[in-house]
Amino acid sequence: MAYYPEPVARLIEALQRLPGVGPKTAQRMTFFLLKRPVEEVRELAESLVAVKERIVYCGTCFNVTDQDPCRLCADPARDARVLCVVEEPNDLLAMERTGEFRGRYHVLLGALSPLDGIGPDDLKVRELLLRLEQGETAEVILATNPNVEGEATALYLAKLLRPLGLRVTRIARGLPVGGDLEYADQVTLSKALEGRREIG
Amino acid sequence: MGLGRSAAVVIGSFPIGESDLVVSFYSREHGKIRGVAKAARRARSRFGGALELFTLGELVFFDTGRSDLLRIDHFDIVRPFGGLREDLEALGQAAWIVECVTRLTADHDRHVALYALLVRSLRALETADRPVHVAVCFGVRCLEVLGHRPRLDVCGGCGRAYPFARPALGAGGVLCERCAREAGDATPISPGGVAALERLRATSWEEALASPLGRLEGELAALLEAHMSGLIGQPTRTGRFVREVRRLSPAPGGRP
Repeated sequence: MAYYPEPVARLIEALQRLPGVGPKTAQRMTFFLLKRPVEEVRELAESLVAVKERIVYCGTCFNVTDQDPCRLCADPARDARVLCVVEEPNDLLAMERTGEFRGRYHVLLGALSPLDGIGPDDLKVRELLLRLEQGETAEVILATNPNVEGEATALYLAKLLRPLGLRVTRIARGLPVGGDLEYADQVTLSKALEGRREIG
Repeated sequence: MGLGRSAAVVIGSFPIGESDLVVSFYSREHGKIRGVAKAARRARSRFGGALELFTLGELVFFDTGRSDLLRIDHFDIVRPFGGLREDLEALGQAAWIVECVTRLTADHDRHVALYALLVRSLRALETADRPVHVAVCFGVRCLEVLGHRPRLDVCGGCGRAYPFARPALGAGGVLCERCAREAGDATPISPGGVAALERLRATSWEEALASPLGRLEGELAALLEAHMSGLIGQPTRTGRFVREVRRLSPAPGGRP
């Protein structure tokens, strides 16, 4: 990149490290930023630094937060008897968007993945057990993704938590709302059949 | 270049972009291939659950000729091997099998015998009481199919005829005590282990699966893990997973 001025080359190089960004996209982003007002670019730069300086993992649930414990863990209105286990902070946000769940969360910061060599020791499993030992929780909802890694994680946790005498549940799997039976694959359909409920 | 189709097994995937997925397959007609499945991560994706690890299906792809990555058009499930997701030991062993296939083969290197062995092994794992036994049977045959068959009749170092005392298994086959010491990285093997390796590769797949290994099962699993790791150039990732998961419910005679 000798034909670019040094600051431009540096920014292209830096942007390329972001997930899903290749050299062309990094180049387009850089030239887009060059055309924007300096205040707007400064705001972006400050936001990036603030995220790294002010955001930490909550010491209780491992969600990303700017205060420890996070707002969700500190909220006395939330039901401490129900604990929802998710893989990533993004999954927690998705659950919160439903407005249906009023319990507490535990973020594992990943999922078991044999092909990537990710085992239980790489996740916040020990921390989950320590939380459960406090005795406040009556039900654990396993809300890991419905893929091989998520299923393996749920299976592992279910085995681990069974001796603790808690109610361990798994979120339902099957057809998406607005979906079409004709286009559903056999795995999704069989899961939907397995999880059918009485109506009326 | 153009439209292609083949029976294939999903052997891995990773997310790319907003909602796309790069999926690796081991296919009957084209060996190991990779392609992009557009919008596969969306909840209402046309691929549904078809691109999950271990799924056997009919793949239809488009090769633009401009990239190593194909464009995945369709993947219709033939057999999802859902049973593998309901048992952590079976899942770990299936992942070990898939890792061996992934890391010991090159892209676009067609190998029908290896493809058949992979499908047979996943099918056997689904109902196996002892998943590690299936992995051992796979390991022995995989070495054979890929041309890494260890010599078991003579010492790979000095050519001395087997049997001899305190044999070890090195890169090329069985080694005598002196040659094993010189090689440095050979793994000790019991005479029973050598006989079991010979038996497993000489019998049919069904006979090998039905043949009880007893205490030798653990020894052979560890030997094959060491052997595969040697061929790959580093320890397998799945080996660590299996060890950690097994702490929860240890299976006697498993891979250490």
